[in-house]
Amino acid sequence: MFIMRFTERPYVAYTEEDVRRSFRSSVRLTFPNSHFNPELGADLYNEYLDEYQFSEEVGFDGLMLNEHHNTPTCLGAAMNLEAAILARITKKPKIVLLGNPLPIFDNPIRLAEELAEIDMISRGRLVSGFVRGTGIESWATNTNPVHNRERFEEAHDLIIKTWTTPGPFRWEGKHYHFRVVNPFERPLQKPHPPIWIPGVGSPETLEWCARHHYPYIYLETDPEVTVSMTDLYRKAAAELGYEPGPQNFGYLWRIHVQDTDEKALEVGKGFLVGNAGVGRVPLPADFMAPAGYNSREGSKRLLEQYKHALRPDPLYGGVDAAGWEKVVETNRVVVGSPKTVIKKIRQGLEVLRPGILGVWTNDGTISHKDTMRCLELMKEEVLPAIREIGRELDLPGPFEQAP
Amino acid sequence: MPAFEEKTVTVGGAQIRYLIGGAGPQLLWLHGSEGNLGWLRLHDELARSFTVVVPTHPGFAGSERPPWLESFVDLSRFYLWIVQELNLSDAVLAGHFIGGWLAAEMAVMSPKSFTRMLLVDAAGVRPREGEITDIFLHGTEGTRQLSFFDVSQVADYELLFGTKPSPEAREAHIINREAATRYCWKPYMHDPALPPLLERLRDLPTLIVWGRQDRIVPVECGELYRKGIAGSRLEIIDRCGHFPHLEKPAEFVKVASSFLGG
Repeated sequence: MFIMRFTERPYVAYTEEDVRRSFRSSVRLTFPNSHFNPELGADLYNEYLDEYQFSEEVGFDGLMLNEHHNTPTCLGAAMNLEAAILARITKKPKIVLLGNPLPIFDNPIRLAEELAEIDMISRGRLVSGFVRGTGIESWATNTNPVHNRERFEEAHDLIIKTWTTPGPFRWEGKHYHFRVVNPFERPLQKPHPPIWIPGVGSPETLEWCARHHYPYIYLETDPEVTVSMTDLYRKAAAELGYEPGPQNFGYLWRIHVQDTDEKALEVGKGFLVGNAGVGRVPLPADFMAPAGYNSREGSKRLLEQYKHALRPDPLYGGVDAAGWEKVVETNRVVVGSPKTVIKKIRQGLEVLRPGILGVWTNDGTISHKDTMRCLELMKEEVLPAIREIGRELDLPGPFEQAP
Repeated sequence: MPAFEEKTVTVGGAQIRYLIGGAGPQLLWLHGSEGNLGWLRLHDELARSFTVVVPTHPGFAGSERPPWLESFVDLSRFYLWIVQELNLSDAVLAGHFIGGWLAAEMAVMSPKSFTRMLLVDAAGVRPREGEITDIFLHGTEGTRQLSFFDVSQVADYELLFGTKPSPEAREAHIINREAATRYCWKPYMHDPALPPLLERLRDLPTLIVWGRQDRIVPVECGELYRKGIAGSRLEIIDRCGHFPHLEKPAEFVKVASSFLGG
């Protein structure tokens, strides 16, 4: 089992009222950046890097980062910069980028160069994930959402070719045009850094991943739905004549541990304002998915996938959705003492059987101090136990068995 | 006898739907970003003096989009082909919002193909002072609220923009939104090359009609069109928003008819 640590690096120094006053009451995209204080930002970036650096000592196999734009819910607007720093200040863990939002880049060659540098500085520890980005990323960069999937696939093909085909060569695609593709710096890993794809179960992406043998990491999706979505990948793989195993799947899970269940239950509440933002004010649907961002066929299939999901989703359903108790009861967030948490993780792993476990240790209003305590307890008790469970349940990660 | 017929024409492999009615010289009406709202009272009025042709733009609900058609300029070039296949010659070119923009683009590409041009609260030209409201960012509901000076002036409001759309209407709305996004996202609702080309239209009689309280495309854009097209005239309708033909139909038909000679 491959175990990686994640936080979305939130900024929470604002109020629900601030969110409600923003254009269309949105915490993302239009939430005024006058609410951002760079003095606090300076502290936060350094604290978050400290936590990741310590995560190596904790024993995580990977340090996972993500990228979002125009939002206080994630300070990783330039994720590759953080990745480059981690590449230099850590020695062993993989730098797992989940991922670079390909469609928003007009120059994917530049991205290929940045990632190659990170791969070399880390001496071959880069896992290069790619995403379509939420609709917010399209808005923030003025990228036409109707081309999102086309650009994702074309940028991916171009980057892979850039890494694997001797230059110079030409690229005359639909969205990208380069006459001299020949970046001098190539990645250290051969044929190229591993590609992993995170998401919430878009059928077209699952099938695309299966075609490329790329592990798919479910981003804290409803567990029951996650199992059925895995079947889409399996089916596509079967058509290609292979059977995916745990190494083809990952699951990102909010897991926070403290010395006692009571403390963890209290501190863990901070998760609620994580990527939902302070106040959990629902985002305008067309901000997250502008017209054309999903194909109409894909949207219908995605809805079909989610027909058995708990509605409203307790994690995202806004202020009036199911409360904290429901979130904990349904294991969408795992909190507790090491003993409690280990028991719950085992139950989840038995059902979901991922070879990659993303441990989202902290978010929202969970303090740096509480996070550090959580990481210490992970080091002492939780991680060794998860490793043992992974072996017992036979859950190889993608570095133990090729996906 | 029905006031109009619904037909299709195949252009470049794509089936294009259009409504046609009336008699007399041809008039091409180009719809806005909301898609083809059907045969409007306005069309009935115009059909007294003209053969009115109301196509659904490629990619909007009802008409196919050729897979290569991506940009607003593509759309304009393709539309000249639609005009050709519809055997429209010496037609009046009229359009609202993005339909007006489309008319202006087609006209500058082929000024001699049309006899007159009627632009209604048209997109296409970037204002210098204000901005064209971001209808995508405002969302459907927000945009609708900005679209009218007073909805009670719109006789068919419930019919056209009803609060309880059928599943088909909802699906059509999604398709229309997607098509508008495809063509108008960037540069948003304008073509930087259009203003200098308007000078080509000095011999095309042009009327520009605007709602004074248009909160989507500011009246300033109407002024820019007027200055850009020598000999054109700008008629501003008071107490009227973005849809003069729906909100002030009588005044709209009056100014349009006096220009068109209907």
